Amino acid sequence: MPNWTSDIRARLAPLRLSPAREAEIIEELSQHLDQRYDELRRDGAGDAEARRLAIADLREPETLAAYMRPLRQANVPPPIVPGTPRRFPLVDLGQDLRYAARMLRKQPGFTAAAVLTLALGIGVNSAIFAMVNATLLRPLPFRDPGQLVVLSERTDASPGDFVSAPNLRDWTARNRTFTAIAGLRTTIGGMVMNGVDGTAETVPRQWVTYGFFDVFGVTPVAGRMFLKSDDVERAKVVVLSESFWRSRFNGDRGIVGKPLRLDGLQFTVVGVAPDEAQLFGRTSMWGMIPIERSTARDGYSLRAIGRLKPGVTIRTATDDMAGVAGQLAREFPKTNAGRGVGLESMHDAAIGGELRRTSILFLGVVAFVLLICCANVANLLLARATARTRELAMRTALGADRRRVIRQLLTESLLLSIAGGTLGLVLGVAILRSAPALIPEGLLPAAVTLSFDLRVVAFCAGAALLVGLLFGIAPAWQATAFSPAQALGSGSRTTSASGGRLRNALVAAEVATAVLLLFGAGLLLRTLLAVTSVDRGYRAESALTMLLDPLGSSYPTAPLLLQFYDAVEREVAAIPGVKGVAYATTLPLGDSSVGQFLFTVVGAPPVAESQTPTADYQIVSHGYFRALDLPIMAGRSFDERDKNGGLPVCIVNEAFVRKHLNGRSPIGERVALRESAAPGSPEVVREIVGVARQVKGRPDETADLIQIYVPVTQEPIDDIYMVVRPASGRAEALGPAVRAAIGRVDKEQLVSVRDVKTLEHVVQEATSRYRFRAQLVMAFAVLALLLAMVGLFGVLGYSVQQRMRDFGVRRALGASTGDVLRLVVRSAASVIALGAAIGLALAVALGRLLATMLFGVEPMDAATFAFVTLVLAVTAAMATAGPAWRATRADPIQALRQE
Amino acid sequence: MLDRELKKGSAELIILSIVEARPRHGYEISKLIEERSAGRVKFHVASLYPLLYRLEERGWLQGRWAEKAGQRRRRFYSLTAEGRRVLTSQRNSWKTFVEAMGLLTGVDHA
Repeated sequence: MPNWTSDIRARLAPLRLSPAREAEIIEELSQHLDQRYDELRRDGAGDAEARRLAIADLREPETLAAYMRPLRQANVPPPIVPGTPRRFPLVDLGQDLRYAARMLRKQPGFTAAAVLTLALGIGVNSAIFAMVNATLLRPLPFRDPGQLVVLSERTDASPGDFVSAPNLRDWTARNRTFTAIAGLRTTIGGMVMNGVDGTAETVPRQWVTYGFFDVFGVTPVAGRMFLKSDDVERAKVVVLSESFWRSRFNGDRGIVGKPLRLDGLQFTVVGVAPDEAQLFGRTSMWGMIPIERSTARDGYSLRAIGRLKPGVTIRTATDDMAGVAGQLAREFPKTNAGRGVGLESMHDAAIGGELRRTSILFLGVVAFVLLICCANVANLLLARATARTRELAMRTALGADRRRVIRQLLTESLLLSIAGGTLGLVLGVAILRSAPALIPEGLLPAAVTLSFDLRVVAFCAGAALLVGLLFGIAPAWQATAFSPAQALGSGSRTTSASGGRLRNALVAAEVATAVLLLFGAGLLLRTLLAVTSVDRGYRAESALTMLLDPLGSSYPTAPLLLQFYDAVEREVAAIPGVKGVAYATTLPLGDSSVGQFLFTVVGAPPVAESQTPTADYQIVSHGYFRALDLPIMAGRSFDERDKNGGLPVCIVNEAFVRKHLNGRSPIGERVALRESAAPGSPEVVREIVGVARQVKGRPDETADLIQIYVPVTQEPIDDIYMVVRPASGRAEALGPAVRAAIGRVDKEQLVSVRDVKTLEHVVQEATSRYRFRAQLVMAFAVLALLLAMVGLFGVLGYSVQQRMRDFGVRRALGASTGDVLRLVVRSAASVIALGAAIGLALAVALGRLLATMLFGVEPMDAATFAFVTLVLAVTAAMATAGPAWRATRADPIQALRQE
Repeated sequence: MLDRELKKGSAELIILSIVEARPRHGYEISKLIEERSAGRVKFHVASLYPLLYRLEERGWLQGRWAEKAGQRRRRFYSLTAEGRRVLTSQRNSWKTFVEAMGLLTGVDHA
């Protein structure tokens, strides 16, 4: 059968028929021509002949158009149908955006709620992402950061240890895989700097070896860095940090080469280094430890860092260093046998597992908060979409297809998320601005700075777009799932059933998330309570502490040093309001300036060298136990009998007695103490004269720390904490008077006084990580709960509003207030119960992931379960109360009138 | 073949008469016109369909697509109530006109 379409279409072309009408006419006329053709063929015409004759029926090409032209249908302009595909999709986008903006402007309340919710979610997410970015993603701020490693001496007993100076020197000389290796002391000391104006200040100083800056590959801001020749010549040189140089010397380049009086000695400033070099501690200057002529191969005091040659991997370097360690072990078997070299990427070593875990925890937590924000906005959109059913049905009836309507709704969601994302970015910047005040000192290494870089902005934009799609697609899909006739014909009630289910599911998910976060927060809070409420052992509520560092050269002998301490103690004790003064090398829950000693109880069965126990070795003054109100449980405290040169004595703690004396009376027992296992380390045998109460070394220690106290008179030391206890009131208030008192004794200003803080502050610092985590996660959990309850309130309120007539009819048919109340509460309770069940199940599953951050509480803590359930019940009751009350006020008369 | 003018004036009456009994499609209409006029009146496609559409627009005919099992759908035209009224009135005036013409021209029509 011939195809007549093109013939007919050509004849209709001059008319402006609608495409649908044209197609209809073509169909109708084609059928006519077909039949005519068949007829002609039946009458004996050939194909071409029949075709020609049939076409002839259409007459001249203009005839049909001429006959058609007077008809109305021939002059209909093409209808404007929203959603008709145009040639340029961008034109559509512009139209969509304008329309979306208009719709959002028309409902400022809805728009504000949605944008603020999103801004909150995206804001906290971008702030936390900035932390993750700074700690986990961003490389260290040095040239080829991947080549930077941390080296440690390894023994069977210890996976990573400090390095001795001679070993470091030999590693540097013998390796084939490093461009530089250097050492540093991780503790930051202080030096007394005398200004030209006669003032003295204590300046933080870090000891490093000459290759330190070469490893980082930093370029000097001014002058030069340390050289090997400085080491060989034992030159007294220092390098200043850039920020110190700018704040203290106004960035004066002339300082290079000038002398600086530090600790009473003349040093030369050779250069200024950028602040990034403070990766391993905040310091204002670097002093140089010479290693070239060092012989103390068993003095393990340096942390080693290195830069690998380009292209060398850690694995290759590890093999290389194993060879070097092997050589050294053969050459120096006494000190180096069994000591290998461990390598770790500097990024991992500097960031640390603690920070990594915290960052990941926070990121997970805020991701959940963002999900809740999404769910809330989706709920707002769903409720709105239901209200807009008629509008959307109208558009569909006018010819917009479903895809087109969905696109329009998605454009609105995206517009919302872009607005929310922008505001969130602003919020994130604000959070980061205030973050340094919230983050505990020491959690972030000095070189790690929180900042909004492109990656954070990209994250923010990505999150906003993803969120826009996420919360937009479900409402859009649901809103368009109807036939226009159905939606136009009926009220909006028929379409709300499936939307209601979706909204309930979203709220249940929100409740689940909030419960999960609350549970985590509860566990962290219980941990915080556990670490802050541990029995610290001493009873003093308040005390001022500071590190006293008299310069060795000014108090060269033990009697002079002790005289100085005595003089300061007398001078400080004379200050009105001071109840006690004492010295100690360790602060409870704080740092120790001495560390651990190896000990053996005299007469106890011998143990293998590697099994020798260690104790926290604390050098204290006579008044220490009294000043801190630390009870002596047996025997006596130190007194005038314990002189230098007298019988060496010590006081042990309760854990020592429990673990090492097997029930024997401690008084009179003797203990042999050594600083290290190295053969040169001297052993001192001390008699136990008393037993002190257990004091916590760390707030979260699980095994009781063994402590041995030694009188300072028998072991004078020049880095010691002074503890000043006030008679009453705040310890800080004593600060100026105490400093003045030290100044009266230390007339030449050669004593460095630093780390001035109260004992409470020391405790706070020790627990700050727990506090930070607990507070932050709790804040997020409260936020999540609040958002979930707002979501519940919104959904209940909406469904009550939809069902007011229903409630009215029930009232008219005899339902009591209680019946109506039960209806609302039951629907709320089912959603909450579902959410809570899912949340608690997830909490059980995820609780184990938190285990490493917990102390004094099990991951499946019953009290926390109860706490979460209680909090949820109370807040849920609050969120339900409003809508439920409203439902009870449904008016039966009005309801019946409407029916 | 009848005069062009005459046919134009009477074309509407012819179509309405053809579909009076029952709905018919375009081809059927054109065939019936040809048969009943013994080949003396013929509508070609280019004029028949515009005429059908015009009558439809005036509300005298109603076109409706109808499907029969195993066949292509076809458009059937049926008389509307309005169309039936117009047909009666036109038929009467045509009759009057023809009788008048018979009397005037002496053509015996019986």
